[in-house]
Amino acid sequence: MKEQSPKRKLRIRIFIMCAVFSAFFALLFLRLAYIQLIDGPKLQKLALEQQTRDSAVASKRGTIYDRNGKVLAKSSSVYTVTANPNEIRKAKKDVNEIAEKLSDALGMDDEKIEELLKREVNHVVIKRKIEEEESNKVRALELPGIILQEDAKRYYPYGNFASHVIGFTGDDNQGLGGIEMVYDEELKGVPGRVVALKNALDSDMPFKEETHVDPEDGINVVLTLDETVQHFAEKHLETAYLEEKTLQGASAIVMDVDTGEILAMTTKPDFDLNNPFELIDEAEKERISAIADDKERVAELSNALQSMWRNKAVVDSYEPGSCFKIVTACMALEEGVINENSTYYCPGYKQVESHRIHCAKREGHGMQNLADAVKNSCNPAFIEIGMSVGNDTFRKYYEAFGFLDVTGFDIPGEANGVFYAKDNFNIVELATASFGQGPKVTPLQMITAVSAVANGGKLMKPYLVKELVDDNGNVISATEPTIVRQVISESTSEKMCSMLENVVANGGGSNAYVKGFRVAGKTGTSEKIPRGSQKYIASFIGFAPANDPKVCCLVMLDEPSNGEYYGGRIAAPVVGRILEDTLNYLNVEPQYTEQERQSLDIFVPDTKGLSQANAIKNLTSEGLKYTVVGSGETVINQMPKGGSMVPGGSVVVLYTEDVATRKVIVPDVTNMSVSQARAKLAESRLNINISGVTGGSNSSTPNISVKQSIMPGVTVEEGTIVEVEFRYLNMD
Amino acid sequence: MAERRIQAESGLNRKTMKKNTSKVKSCKGKIDYGFLAVCVTLIVIGLLMVFSASFPSAYYYQNKNGYFYIQRQTIWAVAGAIAMAFTINFPYKAYKKFAKIILIVSGILLLLVLIAGKEINGAKRWLGVGSMTIQPSETAKLGLIIFFAYLVEKDGKNIGKFKPLIKYAGILVVFMGLMMLQPHFSVCIIIGLTSVVMLIAGGAKIRYFAMALIPAIPAGIALVIYEPYRLARVLTFLHPFEDTQGAGWQVIQSLYAIGSGGLFGVGFGNSRQKYMYVPEPQNDFIFSIVCEELGLIGASAILLLFGILIFRGMKIAINAPDTFSSMLVTGIISLVAVQVVLNIAVVSSSIPTTGIPLPFFSYGGSALFFLMASMGIVLNVSRYSKKKEL
Repeated sequence: MKEQSPKRKLRIRIFIMCAVFSAFFALLFLRLAYIQLIDGPKLQKLALEQQTRDSAVASKRGTIYDRNGKVLAKSSSVYTVTANPNEIRKAKKDVNEIAEKLSDALGMDDEKIEELLKREVNHVVIKRKIEEEESNKVRALELPGIILQEDAKRYYPYGNFASHVIGFTGDDNQGLGGIEMVYDEELKGVPGRVVALKNALDSDMPFKEETHVDPEDGINVVLTLDETVQHFAEKHLETAYLEEKTLQGASAIVMDVDTGEILAMTTKPDFDLNNPFELIDEAEKERISAIADDKERVAELSNALQSMWRNKAVVDSYEPGSCFKIVTACMALEEGVINENSTYYCPGYKQVESHRIHCAKREGHGMQNLADAVKNSCNPAFIEIGMSVGNDTFRKYYEAFGFLDVTGFDIPGEANGVFYAKDNFNIVELATASFGQGPKVTPLQMITAVSAVANGGKLMKPYLVKELVDDNGNVISATEPTIVRQVISESTSEKMCSMLENVVANGGGSNAYVKGFRVAGKTGTSEKIPRGSQKYIASFIGFAPANDPKVCCLVMLDEPSNGEYYGGRIAAPVVGRILEDTLNYLNVEPQYTEQERQSLDIFVPDTKGLSQANAIKNLTSEGLKYTVVGSGETVINQMPKGGSMVPGGSVVVLYTEDVATRKVIVPDVTNMSVSQARAKLAESRLNINISGVTGGSNSSTPNISVKQSIMPGVTVEEGTIVEVEFRYLNMD
Repeated sequence: MAERRIQAESGLNRKTMKKNTSKVKSCKGKIDYGFLAVCVTLIVIGLLMVFSASFPSAYYYQNKNGYFYIQRQTIWAVAGAIAMAFTINFPYKAYKKFAKIILIVSGILLLLVLIAGKEINGAKRWLGVGSMTIQPSETAKLGLIIFFAYLVEKDGKNIGKFKPLIKYAGILVVFMGLMMLQPHFSVCIIIGLTSVVMLIAGGAKIRYFAMALIPAIPAGIALVIYEPYRLARVLTFLHPFEDTQGAGWQVIQSLYAIGSGGLFGVGFGNSRQKYMYVPEPQNDFIFSIVCEELGLIGASAILLLFGILIFRGMKIAINAPDTFSSMLVTGIISLVAVQVVLNIAVVSSSIPTTGIPLPFFSYGGSALFFLMASMGIVLNVSRYSKKKEL
């Protein structure tokens, strides 16, 4: 130590200090390396999240078309007004003034806007989905911190039309029901993005740096629905739904029997797709808005909306009642346990073990062959048929007709059929199931099964989407008709078609009769559980023409409460009308019987300006009668007018002088047969136009007039046409 | 007895001084160009980084003039260069002669700042008019180093004893006390650590410093308790991600910046964290922006430059002609080293956050000015190097 100079000591110590610093530097290097290389990716990701503003650029949602290219749902550009309250605060602008200007442009409460602008956040939504016009007003104001974001709004040009099928979209343009929901992925496309760098102050960057990813527009969906057919179904179902004061809703489906395409599908009550969150039922709306408790009200409203949005035709199952006899008869024919010559005796009931099961006709149908049993919808006969099939075979066919599975349809929430567990399916259950009591099916399953009966035995997979196309019209994918299985043979199908035609021509389905179109079908009335509740489901399923079925139509009314509840009385006429309009629209050539041809309505020729002689010649050649008023040479007026439709033999009043028209008073012609009503009107020198079900049917049950187009006691011109609606008083 | 011994020692000192003086004269030569080159490189990189890091805050807070800070920093750098040119040529021995006066002036400036200083963010640290301000803390750092170098030489061998250390401690307590009144806690740490390095290098026994830690621990605890913001800083350092918006913000943003850099960095000028995520990115946290823009490679290169600066500086100290110059250079270099280590440790969240600028890099004119002047002093000493003898 002593020989060591202080200088040397100092050097050593400085050297040690250097070493200490070096050690620290090494540690810091390791620390940096750890942060940059090991934690780096994680930190970089977190940093990027805060450094960038990632805004979505909405893609254009695809259009929904009907099968003929009519637009059912379309998106158009709208704008959403948002604000950055922090920026407004930084810009030191008068919030009050901004709120006032905005409230003028947007028609909103300025206090509400002010409240939003005073929040201490970077983003508030002021108003969603404003139209171009309004957005221009806002843009013109050039307010700081107010941002217009492009958005899309869904338009449904037909409003309430096919609402349960098409579905609707929510605030973020996401599909919330029907096709909009099921095909959301395809329709919505891929939204684009704009990734922009931002600073921590949320103000403008000195240099703008943005990355754009263009949005991919959505694919268009072409439905199998035909706007016109859908319109017929909607119109006729709506009328019946209202007239029969249907409490639990009603459904109608029209299906192409050969392909399984749904041409129309409607559920009542419906709702406005442009305003899907508005309850349609005013009483219900009032009741809910009166609930004081917020939570309860929201829950109730949500329940009410959910039930309004339910597509009854697909998601609700019901007991099909006598309509199911079609299926029972098919299985028995197919298995060969019965044939057309089988006979059944109906004493008005059938004893099954300890149960006495009654027929709808208490006094009994007596002896009947198979066709009559179907026509009469005789329960005891069908219990026998069911028993001859046996439990296992019954279940086998029940499954084969597709009642145990969902059909795989394009509507969310499709219901399964309900059937007995193996152990619970005994002889009594078999007996009631044979005439449609016990098992539950959806209207869609029912029409699919009956379409198989109509088309030669092929169970088709029902579908609603015909194809997906892009904006240039290129087909991306097309749905081909799918045969699920051959359920029954063609010959069984043929036999059933003719028996079901007989039901409409001569039996309980006569209200569905359409002149020239050979409608086949079956009525159904089922009492809802608990039995004895006096609540019924009335239904009818029919197809036409019976010799070459094209379309099948099902109508069901859940709890009609206007007195009538038999499917044959209230559902069959709806099916008849829908089929008549549809077949005419589809240009299906009518096949009139001789009897029908005679009772066809005639166009009244226009004879104005013709000589009296020529006018009379024209009228008589059409099979019309006439009376002449005045002594002029030429016809100056006529009643009914040229172009009106009247039955043959109607009287046309010809005026040859400018005299006051002759007046008569309309008599009451309700509750009369066709001939009675015709005679009564003729007596008053009025003409009749028969609507509803008319002559040509050989139904054993009487038909009576239920409605007349001009009220009794009204004074009208002589020769005026009074439209009278008739209905058969069938039972099941 | 004691008096006589002191006299004897001072006599010995005088003798060695004479010896040294003769050597100084004989060895006066070229400056250490290597050291100068490292200095210039660091100054240039530092200015570039201030430009890049300060652009956004200048843009946002100085009326969209992105060049606001770099213009000022460049003016100070030019002034610093002039000061450096002066100190390179100004014989270091003069500092020894005026050591006491320098210390007293530094002390007066520290007092003055408490009376007439500009208060910014609740701290009185700046003296001056308009934008031309200096921090008396900067002069105090240099003043203390000069005076301690003077004292160590004077104490000679006695430095190894306990008693002489009381003088240093006394002076430090006065200076630190004045600084705490501003308050300027971080500079206390810097001068404290620098002094310790100087004294140990100068021959003081390490165990005395270890003993000094015994009262320091309760003092530190008391400090944390009575000044809660310091406690918050300590806690933040331990769990930065628990309070991302509050105290943890700065640290997290710094880590984001460093982590974003990766190996190669996002490129000069391309930092995103400098857009006000890292608060005042041109100041104490500038190194996080350096890491982001230049990556681990760039950051390591800068660490290496600092390392070379320290090694070359310490070599100058070892080869210095006398104890005073040796201690002077040791003090200046360790001042830089302590700041570099502490700054990077703070920026990388290795120690609690405290406001320590990074030499050559952090924005701050007077700091750069005095730093460059100090480098000039080191270079001046290098002229008298007795390297050839070794």
